Amino acid sequence: MALLEVKNLTVEFGSEDKPFRAVDSVSYSVDRGEVLGIVGESGSGKSVSSLAVMGLIDFPGRVTADALTFDGQDLLGMPAKRRREITGKDIAMIFQDPMSALNPCFTVEAQIMEALKVHEGGTKKQRRERTLELLNQVGIPDPKSRMTAYPHQLSGGMSQRIVIAMAIACKPRLLIADEPTTALDVTIQAQIIDLLLKLQEDSDMGLLLITHDLALVSEAANRIQVMYAGQLFESGPADSIFAAPRHPYTQALLEALPERSEGHDRLRTIPGVVPGQYDRPTGCLLAPRCRYANESCISARPEVTDFNGRDVRCFYPLNDQGQPTGLTADLATGETV
Amino acid sequence: MSFLDTKPGVPLLESDDLVRHYDVNRGFGKPGATVKALDGVSFTLEAKKTLAVVGESGCGKSTLGRQLTLIEKPSAGALKINGHAVGNLSDKDAKIFRRTVQMIFQNPYGSLNPRKKVGQILAEPVLLNMDHLGRKEREERVRETMAKVGLRPEFFQRYPHMFSGGQRQRIAIARALILEPKVIVADEPVSALDVSVQAQVLNLMMDLQEEMNVAYVFISHDLSVVRHIADDVMVMYLGRVAEKGPTEEIFAKPLHPYTRALLASAPKIDPAHRVKAEPLTGELPSPINPPSGCAFHKRCPFATEECAKVRPELRNFEGREVACHRVEEIA
Repeated sequence: MALLEVKNLTVEFGSEDKPFRAVDSVSYSVDRGEVLGIVGESGSGKSVSSLAVMGLIDFPGRVTADALTFDGQDLLGMPAKRRREITGKDIAMIFQDPMSALNPCFTVEAQIMEALKVHEGGTKKQRRERTLELLNQVGIPDPKSRMTAYPHQLSGGMSQRIVIAMAIACKPRLLIADEPTTALDVTIQAQIIDLLLKLQEDSDMGLLLITHDLALVSEAANRIQVMYAGQLFESGPADSIFAAPRHPYTQALLEALPERSEGHDRLRTIPGVVPGQYDRPTGCLLAPRCRYANESCISARPEVTDFNGRDVRCFYPLNDQGQPTGLTADLATGETV
Repeated sequence: MSFLDTKPGVPLLESDDLVRHYDVNRGFGKPGATVKALDGVSFTLEAKKTLAVVGESGCGKSTLGRQLTLIEKPSAGALKINGHAVGNLSDKDAKIFRRTVQMIFQNPYGSLNPRKKVGQILAEPVLLNMDHLGRKEREERVRETMAKVGLRPEFFQRYPHMFSGGQRQRIAIARALILEPKVIVADEPVSALDVSVQAQVLNLMMDLQEEMNVAYVFISHDLSVVRHIADDVMVMYLGRVAEKGPTEEIFAKPLHPYTRALLASAPKIDPAHRVKAEPLTGELPSPINPPSGCAFHKRCPFATEECAKVRPELRNFEGREVACHRVEEIA
């Protein structure tokens, strides 16, 4: 049984009769010792879906799901008090901006010890020892003196290490990292990702890595999910999803990367922007931006189907040559209809 | 203005040993200190070329941008535009040169005044710098520039909040272009944008360069973007240049240990593109109290005793400039 099982998770905001679906029937699972990467542009619902798992979506947001279970326990059905015992202890989260994730008024020590006090108890001395141990574990130089430092005295990379120490303080079984390195330099990013993967391996944790960086997720994750405008578009193993994308969106994203283009040529772009709350198309959400879209894409919404062992939400998934299957020959040339 | 015209044989923008130090107050009772944000940076830039400046945050990239746009005066060193020294001009004289170097900022959500319409935002530089133009001509110029960057004419009357990030960055680019500058300093222009929109903006910047012969100083930390857009790359570390050379050569064979580490740290989608090197440990040291000798020696896997004592100067090596004592051995 998977550690985290999410089936048809939907998060809605706004009025009952005309809701805005930030997350639309997303399903995934994370196993012990597995790294699942979720990629997507801003507005694709990747952060909201993880907040829903953490139970951090407040009224007026509405979270519904066919199943949202952690280790066999139903997260949505359980009493709020029981859920609070799980979140923060068994499921922990790392947020994007380490500078604003820490409370500027308290020392590092006080903030980490607070999490320990709530979930583990123990004497103050034990908690202080454990905090020191944690700072050592996340690679803070001179941890003894950093214990009493305030967040403003730390650099971005150092703050993120503190946030990670806080997240792993109660030995979580699932760690959700929401853009953990976006605010950091590449050299520090590499250090933080290495640290996360090492912690994940050592304790057989499940890791849910949310990012917009395709290259980062392809290096770190075992499985990858591509999201777009709240929907799951494609999911599959990390080593094959970017080598042979099955969804036109994944293909277009990869082609827009500078490293995939030769020399000083123009980059291939995806025209337009991610649809917002009021301009979502009735058919496939990508249809206005997709170079293969035809009438059926504009009128009907595709469901997630299995295609060569990959989950793909497209009427015409791509073959190994990157051409859509099931389309007539003249449409398959890549011209927009 | 004839003295702003490009002269043959004279580089468009020339920086010679540019220095910018800031005096900082470290609190009551403590002695003041000096932050050497920029500590001797030299380069030349020709028309229609792109120079990328890369490095970690705190390495002086943005300080360099502020000197080049004449927003601040350098503490020492010379800055020349078309052969004219512009480092220590009076405010009145600086204004004339300022229009030749314009800037695009990182965050298009912060750099546009939310209370002004697009038309007003774009007209302001014209109003201030080309006072011989009448209202009609000014408006025409704004509309022309909007068309150039792919903004529809009806956007003239709209406010910034009505636009997406990519479109806002187009507005910022239009604002930089409207005075027909020779050089545009772009400070992380695409790092706040999504991949698909980033490609649109990069294409636009390259098209405009083709069309208007403008030179870019492209400040970025995204190495794959730099590789795509730049002709030359300057790698900075703690206010000094670590390595400088043509883009393809630097990416094919980085010489300075810091350049290698930077390239190795950047994640790659294609395993074939991977650069093999040890990832860096530690963080950028404080510019208030930089390490002795080579500023990089504490994080460098090749460091020797010499590196800790003597500061390496930039020198030519294989057609590039590298500041490293041991470049011959490790190349």
